[in-house]
Amino acid sequence: MPIVIQPYREVHEAAVREFNQRLTGTGASQDLVFFTKSQPQWLPKAEGSNLYQEFFVALEGSSVRGGYAMKYQDFSFANGETCLIGYYHHPVSEGIVNSSYATVGAMLLKDAMNRSSLLYCLGMGGYDRPLPKMLIRLGWSHFAVPFYFHVVHPSRFLRHIEAARTSLPRKIAMDLAAFSGLGWAGIKAAQGLKKLGSPQHKEITADRFEAFEEWADPLWERAKRHYTMTAVRDCRNLQRLYPASEAHLIRVRVRRGPQDLGWAVVAERRKGDKYGDLRVGSIVDCWAEPENAAFVMRAATEVLSDLGMDLIVSNQSHATWAQALEHSGFLSSDSNFILAAGKKLSGLLEPFAEQRPRVHFTRADGDGLPRNF
Amino acid sequence: MTATILEQVRGIASDLFSIPLSRITPESSPENIESWDSTQHLNFVLALEEKFGLQMSPEEMEQMRSVGEAAKLVEGKLK
Repeated sequence: MPIVIQPYREVHEAAVREFNQRLTGTGASQDLVFFTKSQPQWLPKAEGSNLYQEFFVALEGSSVRGGYAMKYQDFSFANGETCLIGYYHHPVSEGIVNSSYATVGAMLLKDAMNRSSLLYCLGMGGYDRPLPKMLIRLGWSHFAVPFYFHVVHPSRFLRHIEAARTSLPRKIAMDLAAFSGLGWAGIKAAQGLKKLGSPQHKEITADRFEAFEEWADPLWERAKRHYTMTAVRDCRNLQRLYPASEAHLIRVRVRRGPQDLGWAVVAERRKGDKYGDLRVGSIVDCWAEPENAAFVMRAATEVLSDLGMDLIVSNQSHATWAQALEHSGFLSSDSNFILAAGKKLSGLLEPFAEQRPRVHFTRADGDGLPRNF
Repeated sequence: MTATILEQVRGIASDLFSIPLSRITPESSPENIESWDSTQHLNFVLALEEKFGLQMSPEEMEQMRSVGEAAKLVEGKLK
């Protein structure tokens, strides 16, 4: 029976549950299941908005053999153009447990390519995963979005490391040891060295706020030309991404006197296997003209520190934002947060190697907001 | 299918799968070309789309199981 890819509807939900049972029943990771609800809970379609998600399923008769999600969003380019771009994510195929369906993965991607000529993937768990490997073989441009961390409570962090069963904190500890030796003093010294030379300014204020409002628009307009590519971060889109109802997200507005310099969205990560019992804060998203990035990152770091985080992490693709993290005492470690751009999208960013330090991608541009926070 | 379209499709397959043109026949398929896996199949489809200026659906992609079938599909879409 042929396999057909269609929009995911309520009538498919029972078949998706059976599909998920087949995947997890044969030992596949519990993460590799498809959405049980046909309507996206995060960013459903909304009248007049280009920021929304859709789900699609691969059907063999009435049986589901795979599925994927697509987030559509406007992106701005340095030449002033705005394009609607698709973010292809969460592809799941029965091919991972039954080789008879080995072609489903490629079919899902082809369907996405037909729906959006401009596509990217983000995250994906690292280069050793099947999706990044496929995308590289398809000629997509790619790089690992740099990962940074800041240990707020070295004693607690070190105690946790001894008992940690997870690899990520141990990896961070190894990076710290490589800098100046493990131990409370070593961590403080390594992170303190990074702060030397960071810009200081006494008139900078940072305030938490509940909802994005029109003040975000002039800030968006002033800063966007500095970025080769960035998701549109105007008031309207920010209200969709970070509605006031999502009270666990913390919004920070940074000003010099009455002048808006930038903003950040920070949050505490859900507890899980990755970091064990550590309280981990994330600088999820941020925006400013690059010259003010350091002020925004310092404010974001202070907010999370004051909230009692043990460790703060962030992924930032833009070189100036990465430097801003360093000025706030962050160190870098290996990243498994991969950005891959389809050929047509890469064509808008040529030469890619030169342009990539000026593209602005953060955790907010992936699918992690509902999953991780 | 026309000889011209078949020849062009054979040429694309030869380049993509790194097989001498003389060994690419209408019966060439994932069954007898080792390097023809699902990712390369997608690459094959994308190359055909670019060469002939057409778009294939995922369903057409899945049903296209040999070089000969690919040429027939292309010819049908160009008519």
